[in-house]
Amino acid sequence: MASDESIPTLKILMIGPSGAGKSALLIRYVDDQFDSESSTATIGVDFKMKKLSVHGKAYRLNLLDTAGQERFRTLSNSYYRGAHGIILVYDISNRDSFLAMERWFEEVESNAQPGAVTYLVGAKMDKNAQRTVKLEEGQRMAEERGCVGFCEVSSKTRENVRKPFVEIVDAVVKKPELLSDGARRTGTVGIGGGQGGYDGCSC
Amino acid sequence: MEPLTETKWDAVISGTGLKHSLLALALSRSNKKILHVDQNKYYGDAEAAFSLQEVDEWVEKVGGETPEHFRNASLWKTTSESSNESEKLSFSRAYTLTLSPQIIYTRSKLLSQLVTSKVYRQLEFQAVGNWWILAENTLNRLPNGREDIFQDKTIDNRSKRGLMKFLKFVVDYENQTELWQPHVDSSLAGFLSSQFQFPTNLQNVICALTLSLETPEATKVNWSLPRISRHLTSIGVFGPGFGAVLPKWGGGADISQVACRAGAVGGGIYILGTGVRESTPSSEDTDGLTQVHLTNEDVVKTRHLIQPLQTQSTNAKVVSKIIAVVSSSLTSLFKNTVEGSPLAAVSVIVFPVGTVDVEGASQNTPIYIMAHSNETGECPPGQCVLYATMLQSERSHELLDVAVDAFLATLEDKPSLLYKLYYEQQAEAESSETSLDLAFNDSILDDVESMWRIVMGEEADQAMFMRFEDREGMNNDDDEIDEGY
Repeated sequence: MASDESIPTLKILMIGPSGAGKSALLIRYVDDQFDSESSTATIGVDFKMKKLSVHGKAYRLNLLDTAGQERFRTLSNSYYRGAHGIILVYDISNRDSFLAMERWFEEVESNAQPGAVTYLVGAKMDKNAQRTVKLEEGQRMAEERGCVGFCEVSSKTRENVRKPFVEIVDAVVKKPELLSDGARRTGTVGIGGGQGGYDGCSC
Repeated sequence: MEPLTETKWDAVISGTGLKHSLLALALSRSNKKILHVDQNKYYGDAEAAFSLQEVDEWVEKVGGETPEHFRNASLWKTTSESSNESEKLSFSRAYTLTLSPQIIYTRSKLLSQLVTSKVYRQLEFQAVGNWWILAENTLNRLPNGREDIFQDKTIDNRSKRGLMKFLKFVVDYENQTELWQPHVDSSLAGFLSSQFQFPTNLQNVICALTLSLETPEATKVNWSLPRISRHLTSIGVFGPGFGAVLPKWGGGADISQVACRAGAVGGGIYILGTGVRESTPSSEDTDGLTQVHLTNEDVVKTRHLIQPLQTQSTNAKVVSKIIAVVSSSLTSLFKNTVEGSPLAAVSVIVFPVGTVDVEGASQNTPIYIMAHSNETGECPPGQCVLYATMLQSERSHELLDVAVDAFLATLEDKPSLLYKLYYEQQAEAESSETSLDLAFNDSILDDVESMWRIVMGEEADQAMFMRFEDREGMNNDDDEIDEGY
């Protein structure tokens, strides 16, 4: 297997309104954990790493959570910087969260690097009884906004939790210009002494 | 989610400038309840970075009523519609023009704190390489160490010996107090002249290494020696050929964003576009909590309120600044001169006193231009951003204009100006001028630490200040590969 260093790193962001289920999806996918009691804002999750292979090639996913900065829409430019893909999450049982997506797409447009791909996710599909957003509405929005994919997921039942990640990575790696740009790192200086120069991610 | 007004905050921090953002970082693992607000709709406060459109809005605001550190902002843009991309302005977001282009010396405690607090991984640092001095319409590279001095043909042999003697002394100045203690309050110019027989041009070179905004005559020995020593001993710390770095994407502005995110990851709540209107000190009625009235009409209760220093004194120092975009990548400025050194993204150009003049006024204090290549992420390829600074005076605006032109005239490809923002910035207080320093001033970190102590109270353990474990350590299944397709 290829050594860790040779695995390309992809920076994937999760965004969307508070309580939409971004962290639940992230934690279910990466750690296969789900806490049905937890409804509090995420604390202490900076990013999660996960290796994923598509078409036989391994990638290291650097999955960033909003750290609560979505609550008052105070995500910084640096959060978006260098992101290859952005997963936008709403809650199918909360119509307001779906309506808010327009503004989140606008925020992506004004902050993400040109060419970054987007993927729309309707979370909490297990709450079908309380559904206020139809599957077709999500599909239509994803198409209108030029997303590379759309699906509904349930972090509770595990249904579709891998799908958004696999599909967005597949779409990112089909755009070699996104990857090569991220790899360019002329003149970067390592300050994290003792660990052999710069040891950050290459995204 | 708990409403803001019902939480008993441990600290309400007002302003997301570099100092307060570093405080948020320092508190990010403390489990304290932190509310961090900024009256501006962007991060960074006086250390923010802007797109062209955001500069437009900022210039409007500076022109307005709000008393601020900034004033007299004015903007000029080219109307060129050249077919050559580098000869015209690109789209607004292709630029990140920063109010905080301070270089960070490699020995600065800031870098070690960014490493021990683990946020350095979210930053990219680039080398501040060649230093130049403009004299008689030519750029001369400042000697970068002993070998350079020996090979420098512009320095005569007598001066070379003096210079070597001085350099040997200054890196060890702390152990040679007898040589400089009697001159503590003397001027650097006088000290260099009387103790080392330096002619004026060499005094200027040495003074340039301090990045002093004052003349060599007005620059004090006790202020200069640590700075010259820092300059010399910083070279080579993280690699050959450079002694300072700058974070990509806007210098201090990027550090403040990354530090605020660390604050948020630690549970801090962030609100932009909302400031502190007024506060009522704690009393028995308020359980010993300070009531803070926010500009969004919320009233929150907190144990500590951390506010930025307001400029009170009209005597605080003022500088004039120009941020200019030019139509060249200025390759000759950044090229490697030391084997194995990284390609510099920042270069420093010094204009000693009297280098330029305008009709009826001469240049009485030094001018510095920090040139940033497009590798800094601040402008598109084929262009560079210049940050010019001098002490404010009646004619400083014109003098800076002339200096920028004089610099461009020395370059073979005769780049043209595409964009020019002029503004003036006042120091935060008469006693504290760290915001005007062209290099990051470590005393900011002392302020951060003392604010951190106040909020931490009895829990403050200095050994833990800015020392954190990696968060991603919680991820144990990194070796497992998810087979997608």
